[in-house]
Amino acid sequence: MLKKISLSGLSSLFFGLVIFLFFGLFYAFHLHYQEQYQLFLFTAHYFFERVMQPGGLSNYLGAFFTQFYFYPWIGSFILATLLIFFQRILLGTARNLGAAKNFFVLSFFPVLMYWGLLCDENYLTGGLVAILFVSLSNYLYTFSRSGTVKILFILLGIPLLYLIAGGSVLFFFLFLLIYELNEKTRSWKFLLLFNLLGVLLILTIPFFLKNRLGMFPPVSSFLGVNYFRFPINFPVIVVVIGFLLVALPFVSKYLSSRQFPLKKSILIVQVIVFLLFGSWFIHRSVDFEREEIMEYDFYVRMRKWEEIIHKAEVKTPQSPLSVTCLNLALGKKGQLGDRMFEFFQKGDEGLIPDFVKDFTIPMVAGEVYYHLGLINTAQRFSFEAMEALPDYQKSVRTIKRLAETSLINGNYVLSKKYLKILQNTFYYRKWATYLDRAMKNEDLINQHPEYGVLRRMKLDRDFFFSDQEKDMMLGIIFSEKKSKLVFEYLMAYCLLNKDIQHFVQYFPLGETLPYFTIPRHFQEALVYAWDVSKSEVIKDIPYPINREIQSSLNKYRKVYTSQSNPQSLLRKDFGDTYWYYFHFRN
Amino acid sequence: MKGFHFSILLSILFLGISSCAREKSGVQKTGTHPDIFPDYVGVTIPEGIAPLNFRIEWDSVRHSELLIENSKGKSLRVRAGQAMKIPLDEWKHLLETSKGDSLMFHLEVNRNGAWYRFSPFPVYISSDPIDYGLSYRLIAPGYEIYSKMGIYQRSLNSFDQDAIVENTLFQGSCMNCHSFRQTDAENMSLHIRGSQGGTVLLNDGNLKVLDTKTKETLSNCVYPYWHPGGNYIAYSVNKTQQTFHSANPKRIEVFDHASDIVIFDVKRNKLFSCDPLRSGKNMETFPAFSPDGKSLFFCSSKVDTLPLQVKNIKYNLLRIDFNPESGKFGSSVDTIVNASASDYTISFPRPSYDGRFIAYTRFNYGNFSIWHPEADLWLYDTETGINKPLEALNSDQTESYHSWSSNSRWIVFSSRRVNGLYTMPFIAHIDADGNAAKPFLLPQEDPDFYDMTFYSFNVPEFINQPVNMNPDRLEEAVNNEHVQLRFEERND
Repeated sequence: MLKKISLSGLSSLFFGLVIFLFFGLFYAFHLHYQEQYQLFLFTAHYFFERVMQPGGLSNYLGAFFTQFYFYPWIGSFILATLLIFFQRILLGTARNLGAAKNFFVLSFFPVLMYWGLLCDENYLTGGLVAILFVSLSNYLYTFSRSGTVKILFILLGIPLLYLIAGGSVLFFFLFLLIYELNEKTRSWKFLLLFNLLGVLLILTIPFFLKNRLGMFPPVSSFLGVNYFRFPINFPVIVVVIGFLLVALPFVSKYLSSRQFPLKKSILIVQVIVFLLFGSWFIHRSVDFEREEIMEYDFYVRMRKWEEIIHKAEVKTPQSPLSVTCLNLALGKKGQLGDRMFEFFQKGDEGLIPDFVKDFTIPMVAGEVYYHLGLINTAQRFSFEAMEALPDYQKSVRTIKRLAETSLINGNYVLSKKYLKILQNTFYYRKWATYLDRAMKNEDLINQHPEYGVLRRMKLDRDFFFSDQEKDMMLGIIFSEKKSKLVFEYLMAYCLLNKDIQHFVQYFPLGETLPYFTIPRHFQEALVYAWDVSKSEVIKDIPYPINREIQSSLNKYRKVYTSQSNPQSLLRKDFGDTYWYYFHFRN
Repeated sequence: MKGFHFSILLSILFLGISSCAREKSGVQKTGTHPDIFPDYVGVTIPEGIAPLNFRIEWDSVRHSELLIENSKGKSLRVRAGQAMKIPLDEWKHLLETSKGDSLMFHLEVNRNGAWYRFSPFPVYISSDPIDYGLSYRLIAPGYEIYSKMGIYQRSLNSFDQDAIVENTLFQGSCMNCHSFRQTDAENMSLHIRGSQGGTVLLNDGNLKVLDTKTKETLSNCVYPYWHPGGNYIAYSVNKTQQTFHSANPKRIEVFDHASDIVIFDVKRNKLFSCDPLRSGKNMETFPAFSPDGKSLFFCSSKVDTLPLQVKNIKYNLLRIDFNPESGKFGSSVDTIVNASASDYTISFPRPSYDGRFIAYTRFNYGNFSIWHPEADLWLYDTETGINKPLEALNSDQTESYHSWSSNSRWIVFSSRRVNGLYTMPFIAHIDADGNAAKPFLLPQEDPDFYDMTFYSFNVPEFINQPVNMNPDRLEEAVNNEHVQLRFEERND
């Protein structure tokens, strides 16, 4: 069986497998990330809205594929298939031009580069689809030698490809141009006509369609396809890949027809260069720190609190967003007061991030407010995150959250609106249908383990939100709803801000909460507060403090006060205490 | 063999027909009007309106039949499923012969195999014509950040909608406050906010972009109102802030710390004002010229500590004389509606173009009515002095922005009654005595449209013809041709 497959075919399969495993094993949360920031709908309106702009079909197909990224292995398979399809088309084009078999490795270079691009979460699948369309058109072009067919390719191909793949059509025309210049049998009249038609169409069609198929500034209008999430950034590397896909088939052909040193071992040379370049390019493209943040965020989205804590136990998170996710998980599992300083903390920024006009931070911060019962704020943050998407997409995660917040707020009509939208999606249809039906039974909602609880935690008393007064807000919520999570967040907020005075002031608020013992870090803060203000700590402190914590503080104090550089000495035994955070963390 | 197939086909067809006939013979009468969305039961519509497509709000509807007939015996029959889509041409033809008459809608529905007949419901066809179309902003009902939005126009006798301008043309921009000179599509003003921003003025079809912030005024120009003569536009200038409610049902509070009113002289590219419109102790906003051009209505409230005392902010409706020839104001200010005396506030005074009425929005406090569910529409009769709520138009959700048709017999207004958040345009007939008929939601080809859209219909305005704003020309003017306005101090 394997004998029937050529070396190039085996290489493609192997390369595809590597890409598949890479995204499936190491980059799965980038795929989840992509999926949440779009909303693919199986409706005619969505189709026409997306398709009726330059490059619209590529964007549409890109979004179609991306919806399956919720299942990373399917997403990995899709990406690997698209990239290998790209490579095989390039190889086919080169072969049709007369390239020798042993130059097949060259066709992997542009594919490798696009793989690298896709490691950046802001490069979208639609761009790859557009490049595929152009490559496929180039490939098809090489099958015919008839002048009439070629003219038809120009006349129909350029307008059609512009509509399908946007400004990438330029690479189609360039390929055709070089191809025809290489054709020695063409008359100068044919070439003149061919070039004139091509240039005319390339210049006039985008000009004619500008502001007719959507209103965009000149560069965006010409590009059409959303290669990059931020339309303001010009995708330079895509242009490089575009030139490569034009040039490589001709380069392969040229090299095949020439004699030069190393030609006999050209395959080995290509493989070595490819491996070296590939390793470097992929290494510089991947960002595992972002992958980690995305993983934390995904677990929050899926309410996988134990996975978050377990992950942090293996490697403590460093970025504010990951720490936010971890603190929420600790809070949800009732461990915030006992364990938060076992992990790296990033001030109140890592507890409840401030609002910024961005599509990632408010999404995570909104999760925190949601679980704290600040439903209006959760709704706002999620909505704002969606509206901040620079490519004007809607977010399926946000729409789901809006359905939930409307439901919790009791606005069933509004919730049903969002659910109806979700009923036109692939993955969320079942959930939306279930919730839509559940709304007919109020008791079912009230007894729901999440919505029922949040409904009971929902604020009755209104106040204006203030990012600068989070402790005040938490205090108001707690005074109304007596939520343990809110209390622990209020305490944690004071601790993280090293605001011992307010910690001590707010602490008695929680006396009615069902604690067997005071959480460890709260004890540490209390005992420290009394330590710095009173002489006889145990005697004066009005709360039950564990003797071990008291003696631990005595040991800590001894080192702290007697050593000139106590941090390194204290880290080992006291690195997971509040005292260490208080003194040594910024 | 072919004959055999044909006979089977005939048998199936016959069985199908007899089955249908059998089902139809057992039609049950519900004794009620159907529950449909949009609710078109008993509404009054103009002759030139697009078909009233609707959705039957029953589960498991497989088939439905609609018979629409007028008193002259003309009728139209539609067979559909849950979504009733009426053919445009037949609908137009029926409406042409029904002016001043009423249509009866007879609806039968097949649910789980059984047929039900609802009580027929009327739709009244007014003999008062309506303008060509509507212009509105489509924007997601968000908070501080805006994604894609735009100013659009829609023909009322079809479902055709075009973008006048979309913010994708000027990345990162916001656009708002589109306004027309008494529905005249050739005289339009709108603001583009952002780094490239400016006020776009379409004056008798000529386009220019204005920079309206001057050192003498509080801000760029905000709420506009055209003088009927077309030579002036009154604008408010506002120092605005928004903050967010933590508990349902309110979401956002928008308020002014200060505001004044200025008049833009269209021909001289100058702004001017007068002391009563720029008082330091009061905030003046929402200007509106009277249809004869000799008065300027506006809202005014005392300044207070904000946002702490936002509930103390109550605007009244005032009036000041204006001489369009000299551009001078009168010396005295009259109070037309003293809303604060009854502990309310008002916004968006809109005089009908025949001069008889002033429609406005009344709510509990502040000036940004769209985020106040209690906001309702009221009508002040300038002849009788009667001030009353437009009960037929109001709901328990927000009714806010409104504008008159050119003949003053129709009013379009934004309401959040459908789901409490997404603003939708409703149109109502107002007769010469100020009586309002039941309003209808702007019809859409797909009755699910309002469920599936991400946008609110913001600031609906009637237009007498399509707006012709060339986006290429607009782009050029916004990018390269700004006209800086000057403020003219006056001592009159």
